[in-house]
Amino acid sequence: MLLTASKCSTAKERVSKYLLAALLLIVALPAQALTVFTCEPEWAALSRQLAPEAKVYSATHVYQDPHYIEARPSLIAKLAKADLAICSGASLEAGWLPALQKRASNRKVANGSIGMLYLSEHVNTIEKHEKGFFSTEHVHPEGNPHFHLDPERVAQLAIVISKRMQQIDPEQKNQYAESLQRWQSEWQRSLNGWKVAAEQLRSKPIVVQHSSFSYLLSWAGMKVVADLEPNPGVPPTMTHLQGVVATVKQQPPVAVVTNWYQNDKGARWLSEETNIKHLSLPATVDLEGDINDLTKLFDHLLAQLQGSN
Amino acid sequence: MKKKALAFAVAALSVQAPLSHALEVGVLLDVYHKSDETALNGRTEGFGSSHSELSLSQDLGDVATAQMTWVGEWNEEGSDLELEELYIQSTSLPGNISLTAGRFLADIGYLNGTHSHADSFSERPLMYKAFLGGHYYDDGVSASMILPTDRYWRVSAGAFGGDELGEEHSVNTVGTWTLSTEFGDDFGNNSSWQAGVSYLRNRTQESGHHEDEHEEEHEDEHDHEGHSHSHGAEYQGESLYLADIVWKWAPQGNNRKQQVKIAAEYAYVDDLYEAEVDHYTGWYLSGVYQFAEEWSAGIRHGQVELAHEHEHEGEHEWEDSELNETSVMLSWQPTHTQRLRLEYRHQDAKNMEGEDNAITLQYQIGFGAHAAHSF
Repeated sequence: MLLTASKCSTAKERVSKYLLAALLLIVALPAQALTVFTCEPEWAALSRQLAPEAKVYSATHVYQDPHYIEARPSLIAKLAKADLAICSGASLEAGWLPALQKRASNRKVANGSIGMLYLSEHVNTIEKHEKGFFSTEHVHPEGNPHFHLDPERVAQLAIVISKRMQQIDPEQKNQYAESLQRWQSEWQRSLNGWKVAAEQLRSKPIVVQHSSFSYLLSWAGMKVVADLEPNPGVPPTMTHLQGVVATVKQQPPVAVVTNWYQNDKGARWLSEETNIKHLSLPATVDLEGDINDLTKLFDHLLAQLQGSN
Repeated sequence: MKKKALAFAVAALSVQAPLSHALEVGVLLDVYHKSDETALNGRTEGFGSSHSELSLSQDLGDVATAQMTWVGEWNEEGSDLELEELYIQSTSLPGNISLTAGRFLADIGYLNGTHSHADSFSERPLMYKAFLGGHYYDDGVSASMILPTDRYWRVSAGAFGGDELGEEHSVNTVGTWTLSTEFGDDFGNNSSWQAGVSYLRNRTQESGHHEDEHEEEHEDEHDHEGHSHSHGAEYQGESLYLADIVWKWAPQGNNRKQQVKIAAEYAYVDDLYEAEVDHYTGWYLSGVYQFAEEWSAGIRHGQVELAHEHEHEGEHEWEDSELNETSVMLSWQPTHTQRLRLEYRHQDAKNMEGEDNAITLQYQIGFGAHAAHSF
């Protein structure tokens, strides 16, 4: 009896010791690393370079169409814990991000909060559409949201992201500034190489499916002669493809490009019909694969486009 | 209760706050033709429009969001316009807590909290129509919280006036209250799930005086067979228990190309009002396969076990009844904002009138802003 009592008290003591140790640990813990939620993987790749200590999670990956994402429980749980959410904006995530924000009820990433960063508000977009109220077209009035495929815009946005991280986590301001500088000099070096590559692509005709690569093609000065989509967001139809065949015969393009998440049946059909090369390209970084940062992505895209030239 | 809640929501809507996002206005039209009346009817026979929506939403700075939804329907019997949502929801509370006040959809079951225009079938499952009048919205307040676990875990509670649940006004100020919890996660890259349980306490017909119950019994003698469409829950009890599970699969999580969605819910109504049987139950199981970007097909089977009063040798007697329903549908979504759905519904009933088979052709088109869909 006595024995159990003394055992009990030692156990109690041990528990209180652990509790005390745990408390001390919490108090003494260094500043918590930033938790970053990105809507698209390109911003996750960039955030990892700009904040190597941060915990970064991307809601989507290269095989998913970022227009069509389920506001699923795992994403709500991730957004609920984020200090900073980075999204392309321009309505790209309009079908799912508001549902995540609503469910996650994380005030740090509510619209209007400093932790909710829509990059489209900090960059000039191309392909802005006037969208009437009764229009049934799937267009973004705020312009094309796939601006991560312009290396110069990425350079501007890296500054925006880094500044926002510094604002949210001022204790590690210097680290973020240093990471940005390092990133900028590396990016500049790569950019010079890409400019040389782009020279060889200038004015070359190309066929696309959706406006996924518009920024890259326009930066490189390539000429989009046809889009396999009859209307933005509408899959290719046979009648429309017949029209594309006619265009392509007049002005043979270097390739017809689709991205990894698209249904490429139309492009493969066109390629067989006209002998034009079909290129399946990643529309963004593949965080789990080889092309896991933006530098590698531009290297890959330009090499592929050059290869078909 | 109702007036106060509405006044509160209106006052909040007119608050002058810095607006980060402009007012969003959306319209959704839903027109259909249904070949026959069915038991627990959600759409009347013939041509009509059901659940067409006008919705407005607005961020109130970074403090709250406000939402208003008007729902209209018109058919060969008449027309109706109802305010389904007018609420503000906080976005600035700590601890992943949010408060909602005004008129809104009760956070119970899987389908109840979602807008019916996003449903995979043209009408709600039988259990929703019998126990919740299709979907239950009301004037009230609610609080919800995401728990700080790695896996998604949410709890919520609400209190409502209760006037919108049945056809009658609530005898209590707090006519109903709700509790619910849900969990969910991913299975690898291709699929995800969510499961929940919820409880609805219905005090709308409890006055505390037992003699009233007999009066109500007689009031209920007018039968609903002639009335083809009811907004209120016709089969009520003091307690409604709900359990739901949803599983969605898409190759590599890319639901643009292909998706399978399986959903099931179960309902148990206890301590019944009026009916002299022990309980009601209901369930459904549905499967929808989106096999191409624009096409999906689905099947749903549901059942409710109810009770009906009938006259036998001059005496009123209660008898168990049952209704089974199987629906199959094919849906074509030619553009992002339009959908055409063809649905066949087959009903089997025991001790219940009005069952029939019906073919419904439904067309939906949306204009302007379109709210994001929940899981």
